[in-house]
Amino acid sequence: MELLKRLMKFFIISFIFVISSIPFSMEMSEAYPIYAQQGYTNPRAANGRIACANCHLAEKPVQIESPKAVLPNKVFEAAVKIPYSKDAKQILGNGQLSGLNVGAVVILPEGFKLAPNNLISKEIKEKSKGVFISPYSATQENILVVGPIAGDTHQEIIFPVLSPDPATNKKINFLKYPIYVGANRGRGQIYPTGEKSNNNIVTSSFEGQVIDIQTLAKGETEVTMVNSKGNETKQNIPKGLSVVVSKKDNIKLDQPLTKDPNVGGFGQTDVEIVLQDPSRVVGFIIFAFSVLFTQIFFVIKKKQFEKVQAAELKF
Amino acid sequence: MSILKKPDLTDPKLRAKLAKGMGHNYYGEPAWPNDIFYMFPICILGTFVLVIGLAVMEPSALGEKANPFATPLEILPEWYFFPTFNLLRVLPNKLLGVLAMAAVPAGLITVPFIENVNKFQNPFRRPVASTVFLIGTFVAIWLGIGACLPISKAITLGLF
Repeated sequence: MELLKRLMKFFIISFIFVISSIPFSMEMSEAYPIYAQQGYTNPRAANGRIACANCHLAEKPVQIESPKAVLPNKVFEAAVKIPYSKDAKQILGNGQLSGLNVGAVVILPEGFKLAPNNLISKEIKEKSKGVFISPYSATQENILVVGPIAGDTHQEIIFPVLSPDPATNKKINFLKYPIYVGANRGRGQIYPTGEKSNNNIVTSSFEGQVIDIQTLAKGETEVTMVNSKGNETKQNIPKGLSVVVSKKDNIKLDQPLTKDPNVGGFGQTDVEIVLQDPSRVVGFIIFAFSVLFTQIFFVIKKKQFEKVQAAELKF
Repeated sequence: MSILKKPDLTDPKLRAKLAKGMGHNYYGEPAWPNDIFYMFPICILGTFVLVIGLAVMEPSALGEKANPFATPLEILPEWYFFPTFNLLRVLPNKLLGVLAMAAVPAGLITVPFIENVNKFQNPFRRPVASTVFLIGTFVAIWLGIGACLPISKAITLGLF
């Protein structure tokens, strides 16, 4: 009986989960870090690939600017740049054109985390209005995600980061650490379920000659083809894609029927940051000055000895 | 101006050396102790500061933990292996690739014996060795650049 009860409980809970996730996944039709958050505990695979690249198949450049070194327990900015032409328009799920959205993931070294609100300077707050950066998951505060947000105003996203203190956190050492960044603009090509989005080239599913191209009521385009055996086949092209074939064209299997609507893409890069011990820097400065004075002393001593040599004329 | 010793031109030994284009260590600033004792430590300490400064300000990163089950997205050897790496991935037969790799040290072994009869050291007077060197260097750099490109451009570099 106990087992039966448990099983029932398990089924009910999982059923609730599935039901509640359905409207969620229906709504989300664009570049959303939430997909990665649901599917991957660590967005960066062992081979260095960041999970976003599984759906955003096109590759575009991204940049990150961060300080070379930071002191412990200090807030610094890491700026992720996602450049693209502002004239670019992407196709939406309903076939209409709109501006691009952007999103980014920053994988900081362990111990680094998003700066608390009271430590962020007013200047940065002003600059990153409307940007809501959140940790990837409750257990991974060192991974930050943002997006999707309007790309035209946020081609540069500033992440305020708080560095850890090895004095309080024994796991952290004064070392050089890598920061991995992935950033995306525009919609993806496949959904996490494996379905293709409409942000793709439509290729021909049949072989034959195009005999008719018609626009349907909903804005879809219907291409009718006839093959060598005389069989007619029809293929629908979703709204918003521009058809490149015309009547009487001979089409091969998998030949593109439309232009590539995709204008976005994902890119990843990394940068290194040193968690610097202030006492090491002070020690080095003292050492460098002591060496400088020693060198000056050697030169002065040599000049003095040259006078002795000149006086004695013995060398 | 540092102290200078005048050459003693009455010394027949020095005159004989100077006639042969030698003996310049007999005059000028003395090496000991002026240079070796006073100037060398300045330079040595200077390099210490540079190296320690790099170690403090820019320590080397630890890198990722080795994982034999994860192939990185881009596999590339150390830069000096780029040409042979490119040979290995371009040649269709594995044995052929390994032989091509072995041909590199085998070729280097022949270097002292090429034009061995030629007594000149001037590279312009050793046309065979110089040509082999120039072509070898060119091919190595070409293949090395190709190793960084996708395999379709590995040989042509996308130029042809």
